[in-house]
Amino acid sequence: MKNFFYRSGALALFAGVLLTSCDPEIDAPAASAGNATFTSYIAVGNSLTAGYGDGGLYREGQLNSFPAILAQQFSTVGGGEFTQPLFSEEQRNGSGYLRLTGFTAQGSPITANETSALGIRSASPRLYTKYTDNTRNLGVPGIRVADIKTVGYGSTQGNPFFERLTNNPLQTYLQYVETQAQAANHTFFSNWLGNNDVLGYATAGGFSGTLTDVDLFTENYSDLIDVLTADNAEGIVATIPDVTGIPFFTTVGPGIKATLTAAKAQGMVALTGNGPSRTLVATTGIRDAAGGTALFTLTGAAYAPLIGRPGGKYWRDLARQTSPANPAAAMEQFITTYQIDTTQAFGVSVGNPWPSALLLDDAEQAAVQTATTNFNNVIKAEASAHNLAVWDANAYFRNIQTGFTRNGVAYSPAFITGNLFSLDGIHPTPRGYAIIANEMIAVINAKYNANIPPVDETQYRAVIFP
Amino acid sequence: MKSKLLALLGGTLLSGVAMAGGYQVNLASQRQIGMGHTGTGIVTGTSSIFFNPGALSHIRESGVSVGASGILSKIAYLAPEQNSITAEADNPVGTPFHVYGAYKVDSLLTVGLGVYTPFGSTVNWGNEWNGRFSLSELSLQAIFIQPTVSYQFSEKFGIGVGFVYAVGGVNLQRSIPLQGEEGEGRAELDGSASGMGINAGVYFKPSDKLSLGLSYRSKVDMKVEDGEATFTVPASVGSRFPAGTEFNASLPLPATLTFGVGFMPTEALTIAVDISHVGWSAYERLRFEYSQSVNGSSFTENARNYEEAFIFRIGGEYKVSDALALRAGAYYDQSPVQTGYLTPETPDADARGLSAGIGYSLSENISIDASFLYINKKERTDASNLSSGIAGTYKSIAYIPGLAVNFKF
Repeated sequence: MKNFFYRSGALALFAGVLLTSCDPEIDAPAASAGNATFTSYIAVGNSLTAGYGDGGLYREGQLNSFPAILAQQFSTVGGGEFTQPLFSEEQRNGSGYLRLTGFTAQGSPITANETSALGIRSASPRLYTKYTDNTRNLGVPGIRVADIKTVGYGSTQGNPFFERLTNNPLQTYLQYVETQAQAANHTFFSNWLGNNDVLGYATAGGFSGTLTDVDLFTENYSDLIDVLTADNAEGIVATIPDVTGIPFFTTVGPGIKATLTAAKAQGMVALTGNGPSRTLVATTGIRDAAGGTALFTLTGAAYAPLIGRPGGKYWRDLARQTSPANPAAAMEQFITTYQIDTTQAFGVSVGNPWPSALLLDDAEQAAVQTATTNFNNVIKAEASAHNLAVWDANAYFRNIQTGFTRNGVAYSPAFITGNLFSLDGIHPTPRGYAIIANEMIAVINAKYNANIPPVDETQYRAVIFP
Repeated sequence: MKSKLLALLGGTLLSGVAMAGGYQVNLASQRQIGMGHTGTGIVTGTSSIFFNPGALSHIRESGVSVGASGILSKIAYLAPEQNSITAEADNPVGTPFHVYGAYKVDSLLTVGLGVYTPFGSTVNWGNEWNGRFSLSELSLQAIFIQPTVSYQFSEKFGIGVGFVYAVGGVNLQRSIPLQGEEGEGRAELDGSASGMGINAGVYFKPSDKLSLGLSYRSKVDMKVEDGEATFTVPASVGSRFPAGTEFNASLPLPATLTFGVGFMPTEALTIAVDISHVGWSAYERLRFEYSQSVNGSSFTENARNYEEAFIFRIGGEYKVSDALALRAGAYYDQSPVQTGYLTPETPDADARGLSAGIGYSLSENISIDASFLYINKKERTDASNLSSGIAGTYKSIAYIPGLAVNFKF
């Protein structure tokens, strides 16, 4: 009897092994680093590299930054440790960020600022909890190529995100990169810098900020690449996307156009540039799916419902923001400088025009386009001179304007519903960053004859709904 | 007794994973599974109710046959350009079954009732794989109930026809790409379905050594009416996925036309060959119509555009003694899924089946059949760009043991 159990047990075991070993298997090509070495990777860039999203830099975004995703995938082909200047768990909300709290009856999103568990050590000037250890993610939100050799950029009067990282207020960003690169003894880098050399001007509707001079851009970019390639490191650089394709510029205009069309209004009167000059925006000239070119900023969403009514809410808000101590005086000054008459109909009268900062008109767009093209030519030329991989982010975002589907999910550059862009309308969601990382991996694989596996982007979130 | 047995079968043993082409399940008799699932050109016993009602009138005794198979199947998945994103469908054990009862009214007329499960699919990819927004879990069930009449015009010729009433159901679950603090949204569609059709055949036996058969099982449109659609989504978008939504859908179970030949070179040896044509082109789309607008649309629709397919089968039985019979067979089953249309519901590919079986008579009246079938589908890579499927490489295999008991009166 015992023997019987033993035999049947052995038989069952044998059958089990047979069945398990006969599970379906698919042969996959082995991961490979190809001609590149990923042992030590550093990432240079701006907010996109830092993992910024939803209008802020916070721990979750940092953990899901595209360099962190790249490093995770590099680890399958010999990549080493990748440290980031993370906000601590206690200060996980970092700079604060936008949360979606609901929708209006008309279906417009309502957002609110996260104000708990912040990493802010000084409110004015705004400064963040320091992180001066060596790190591999050198992304600094807001930085332009124009800023990388500016002394004092890391001071308390400079960029608070760079001030956070450097322990020497006189160190320039380029010097910081050089120090960190040497400490890391890097073999591979990513450099996605240049966006803010057009973005700051564009998101301010041409009202403030400047477009970087192309000669300065060329000189600084070249110096940066020299530093990054000093020890024959390999790397990938990325171009600057066409900012007019992001939801920050494409979300509000179609609604305004529909309202004006319904009211049979021919168009709007708006300020242009940073002086009192007026420009006319024809209703048909506002960009929506049917055509048009004029772009309204996402920051204009709060003022769009006021079009056609008398009032000066925008200027009062601006006065409170720029001069909290004496908003009345600031208001007085705006009225004079921009020749505003708040008793006239907002946005449709010469006396009370739509603010320049909330509109990127044709002339401003043309300036942005020209600068973007010039800068991208510099980036590509530098990459070519140093034999680096190039991810053409500009071409990529142009190609996906009409949307695409991956793994059963629809993606497009549409605000919130498009899944790619976070609540600030400018920066990607973690899902968007994962898709970007995969695009870069494809370019790296092609350039270095490597086989780095892409990441499963569905494991990264898009917008969180309440 | 019989009704109790049927209730038991219906309650606990439901139809299995689609391991034939598309969502067909060709496991209608353990004896015939052993012979590569041939059987249209020969008299198979009570299971001729399924294989060829025309041959049913040629059975020698009235009888009842009850059998079931267990489908142990696994599907491996590898994402495109990948060596790390993989998934495996961990499918529950499918248990297609059949009950056939045939009664010889006289030497010419035979009546019968068959209950069997020729279609079905159960795949479970789980809630975490990268294709979960397309499909997490699907179960399709269809039980055919077929009263049959068969008439023998002569020793050489018989015809038969059965009326099919099909009952079944569908349950489909997937994730919705809307994420709240508590995770991703979920959709579940659940409904019962029914449909009607016929199964007719002719049987011709020109000599002792040769027999021929032709059978036609018609298309059955399984219609789901007022199925239940349940959505779990974040509260802020809840109004776009209204509670109490019902859905209608229709799934065609395609017609199958089979020509079969039987060779009996000796008393002890039978060789059978079947060629089937399956009218898969009836499956053009998977469409769910909702009773209320769901996320802005009153329906969802994905193209399927299956193409007609053939199945080639060969099998043999050798009677070692009066009591013992050994069987073996093989078949090749073409996939109806065209390039670009592969889905995780039925990650189909051309399939190869190898089978073996044993028949043993315990007494004059009772015999048992045991069968084992191994199915190996070709590894298939598809962009799935025309079906809203999940791009990647799929590979399926299945092990299907089965057992039947036959009673003769």
